[in-house]
Amino acid sequence: MTLNTKRTVIALLSATFLASLIFVQAMEVTRRRAEAGLGDAHVSAPDSSKACVECHAQSSPGIVDHWTGSTHAAKGVGCFECHEAREGDVDGFLHYGKQIATVVTPRDCSRCHAAEEAEFARSHHAAGGMILASLDNFLAETVEGNRAAFNPHSPTPGKAIDQVNGMASAQTGCQQCHGSKVALLANDGGRVTVDDLKPDAEGRPTNLDAVARVVKDQDGKPRFHASTWPNTGIGRLNLDGSRGSCSACHSRHDFSPRRARQPENCGKCHLGPDHPQKEIYEESKHGVAFRDLKDDMNLDAHTWVLGKDYSAAPTCASCHMSGNIRNGGRVTHDPGERISWTNRPPVSLVMDTDVNHAVVKETDPAKRAAQIADTADAKRGRMKEACSVCHTADYVNAFYKQYDDFVVLYNEKFAKPGTAIMGALRANELITKQEFDEEIEWTWFYLWHHEGRRARHGASMMAPDYAHWHGMYEVAERFYMELVPQARELCEHAEAAGKGEAAAKVRAVLDEILARPEHAWSGQTGSHGAGPKGE
Amino acid sequence: MGEPETPLSSAHPPADRRGFLHGASTVAMAGGLAASYGTFGFMAGRFLYPAHGRARAWVFVDDLARFAVGASVSFRAPNGERIAIARQGARGDVDDFVALSSTCPHLGCQVHWEGQNERFFCPCHNGVFDRDGVGVSGPPGEAGQSLPRYPLKVEAGLLFIEVPVEGERTAAVGPRGDGHDDCLQPRADSGPELA
Amino acid sequence: MPGVAAWLRERLPVDGEKLRELTNEPVPNHLRAWWWCLGGTPAYLFVVQIVTGILLAFYYQPNPDTAWESVRYITDEAAYGWYLRSVHKWAATLMIAAVVLHQMRVYFTGAYRKPRELNWFVGMCLLLCTLTVGFTGYSLVYEQLSYWGATVGANIADSVPVVGGFAKRMLLGGEVYNANTLSRFFVLHAAILPVTIAALVAVHIAIIRTQGVTEFHFADERPDEPKFFNFFPDHMLSELAIGLVLMILLSALATILPAEMGPKADPLTTPEVIKPEWFFYVAFRWLKLFSGTAAVLSMGLIVFVMFAWPFVDAWFRRRNKASEASVWIGIAGALAIVVLTVWEAAVAH
Repeated sequence: MTLNTKRTVIALLSATFLASLIFVQAMEVTRRRAEAGLGDAHVSAPDSSKACVECHAQSSPGIVDHWTGSTHAAKGVGCFECHEAREGDVDGFLHYGKQIATVVTPRDCSRCHAAEEAEFARSHHAAGGMILASLDNFLAETVEGNRAAFNPHSPTPGKAIDQVNGMASAQTGCQQCHGSKVALLANDGGRVTVDDLKPDAEGRPTNLDAVARVVKDQDGKPRFHASTWPNTGIGRLNLDGSRGSCSACHSRHDFSPRRARQPENCGKCHLGPDHPQKEIYEESKHGVAFRDLKDDMNLDAHTWVLGKDYSAAPTCASCHMSGNIRNGGRVTHDPGERISWTNRPPVSLVMDTDVNHAVVKETDPAKRAAQIADTADAKRGRMKEACSVCHTADYVNAFYKQYDDFVVLYNEKFAKPGTAIMGALRANELITKQEFDEEIEWTWFYLWHHEGRRARHGASMMAPDYAHWHGMYEVAERFYMELVPQARELCEHAEAAGKGEAAAKVRAVLDEILARPEHAWSGQTGSHGAGPKGE
Repeated sequence: MGEPETPLSSAHPPADRRGFLHGASTVAMAGGLAASYGTFGFMAGRFLYPAHGRARAWVFVDDLARFAVGASVSFRAPNGERIAIARQGARGDVDDFVALSSTCPHLGCQVHWEGQNERFFCPCHNGVFDRDGVGVSGPPGEAGQSLPRYPLKVEAGLLFIEVPVEGERTAAVGPRGDGHDDCLQPRADSGPELA
Repeated sequence: MPGVAAWLRERLPVDGEKLRELTNEPVPNHLRAWWWCLGGTPAYLFVVQIVTGILLAFYYQPNPDTAWESVRYITDEAAYGWYLRSVHKWAATLMIAAVVLHQMRVYFTGAYRKPRELNWFVGMCLLLCTLTVGFTGYSLVYEQLSYWGATVGANIADSVPVVGGFAKRMLLGGEVYNANTLSRFFVLHAAILPVTIAALVAVHIAIIRTQGVTEFHFADERPDEPKFFNFFPDHMLSELAIGLVLMILLSALATILPAEMGPKADPLTTPEVIKPEWFFYVAFRWLKLFSGTAAVLSMGLIVFVMFAWPFVDAWFRRRNKASEASVWIGIAGALAIVVLTVWEAAVAH
């Protein structure tokens, strides 16, 4: 090989080497871009929380891992920023030199997220814990359990049980969604709750006797009543007087907005036979689209505005809470702002609300108008803003007509009549004052609380099967095949027991209802009521 | 061993073509070697040059409602630097606040606040700054230097400061050697009253 | 240029002519065959290792608490760090492979015979140094396999009779792998061994230069062809070309198969499978075939025989002038090395 050839070979090899280095450069640039795109790796553990992070990285590494990936971590909001307790807080204790509290309430979150907390506090979500005085609670606490503890009736091999906790169903069932009344153990064997502490406007307890009764362990940490904590029910009644738990939807410790945008998040509570919103959504076209196009949903976007950041499909959050291009991208933490019918009660009510965000029940038009601060139509308008990102006005309005028709049908044919029948039975003492001790009370409960709600929810979110087969069909069957016959039977028993007048009054109500044209098909009219054909 | 007999270099093309080929191939070779190894050297240089130590981010300080007018906070940036953040006004916006670095602009020593003299003092060359961080005497005063200020912003009622951040390893890497635990002090510790 | 040369000549007692004559070694014809480059290859790769090693040492921290993290920083964050580390890792593999292939070439061409026995010793020392620098290098990363590989290696050293305990303690700087160990390995890897290798290479080349490269004649040579060619510029250019081919190969390997981070060393958890680097597979498998002291001693014996091979071969040829016993033994040895290496690579235990 000549020298010239050799030199040329070297020149060509150099060019190839250079080409390989250019490839290296390209890879380096890609690596840098990928690194920057996926978000910065720097996590600033603020001064006050450094010790927490170092110790808990060993003792509860999952918590630290979750937090490390969160926006809080990237912005320098660490452990102490949320868990800090002030002097005088009943659940505060000294932990390695820092005064902290375990439970973080909406009041704590409101220090930085004031607007969200204010919206949430006035919403129905925050009132979820008020179920404790309701009919539902009677079911869980008394029918399924017992308000007081009671003794077991035979031994359980392998476990020493001296008391049966009758509230267990309420605690593990209802209260895990609706929220518990957080309680600390008291030294008299009882418990200390917000009712005892009577906190002031700042959340500090005013009843210091109650504070003194709190049991603390050897580290000075107040002991929670195990039945009330852990609990992230959305209406939790906290010791500082605030209601709710932000981590019900924004689960800790990453408090991820991404998760809160997805239907599964709401579905922790909004599912089941009495309010199957999750199942309804999944049946509906919205849910079908979401499942298919989840990758296009841009769930990690910083702002998540329907019509701008995504438009593939709406989720629960999209319609009920998140911002859209029509409302300036404004998020609300009060879903009630966009709801025009409340389908929770036996008879659906129009959501005209007063200054306290409570539904106006006044019937006199003049008085009603005076009380209304926000109309149902305004609320519906806000919801329509979300709809109109994808649907035209005619489409949306026609849907609402279908929905209104359905709710009104349910109200007029079954709900109001059923309420009247049950009211008559109670007023004339054909049923006892005790709830749920007679079959007809269960029948009525199923009709409006389970099947009636399913039907209305199904109509509201375009799930035909829930509206009809799982809904109105079952309402109708319950009404005709159970409620009415059971009511008539009660009348017969009453008559036989000498309460003929009372029975007659109830029968009058029944007959008047069943004489109506919409009930005529059943042939159940008649003063002594022929029963359903074939009986 | 023996002398090289004839160099086994090339066959013998005509003189001018020989010269041209010789020149061209030499230039090509030299250029190629310089370009390729030079690029490698450039990459090595970039590798050695300290990288993104200047990445900055907005970090949360406190919420406005809890920051009294006239109060100050000694804020520790992620890279360890101490920054005095004070609220001087009651307007409720970012102009109420000032964030002063404690690093002397002369040669980098740490200044400290002398409450009794109402001044920042640098022990290295006796630099003095007034309560707003303006140099009044010593080398910084003569050079007209002031304590560096950090950018602040207020968003939704919350105060943020823009500081250099580094990737922090949040898991414990090794035992603290120095025996001093910064974390056992309350966050808003003593600082100058910059009312 | 001539002015500079004259200026230097007035100050340095070096004669340009003599220098040119000294360095312009006559290179025998056979070296124009490209596969004779296996000596220069490890030398060039050694230079690559020095350069990339120095660059890596700017960020590496030889401390058990931060070693792994510093390597991770190089791999994940530093500009071109992944590339330089990968080049360093692949150049190590290629250098060891080239050294072994070079030794085989020397062996099979009988270039160790009198008067070149001394250079064979120097070469053997270079082989051992290269293997050791490879071993210490991987231990520095402080991954699980680094830690446990070093522990196992030290324990193997321990099993040598008489000097084993001493050797292990010197190696580890204690009874078990501790903070001293990493410092020792770093000093060995980054200072002592490179200087030793450089010195040995200088001796190796000096001996070649003074003795001259072994001439090797092919059957199909033309009788009137010149028997030598110039080092400058002919052979120099060949070496440059080979260097570039190696750089291209290294860049390709570094981009296609870059070095990654394994799990950090955990002194409390031994991984299921501990293996040394590939170049120790043959020794590892040998030690597993025989147990304890017998294994270590037999390995020591083999190394001794390798050192002494020029004399063993001389003994064969004294008995029969045309003996090719060395070649056959060499083939058997090479096969054995390949089989043991592949065997160890294929199985977990």
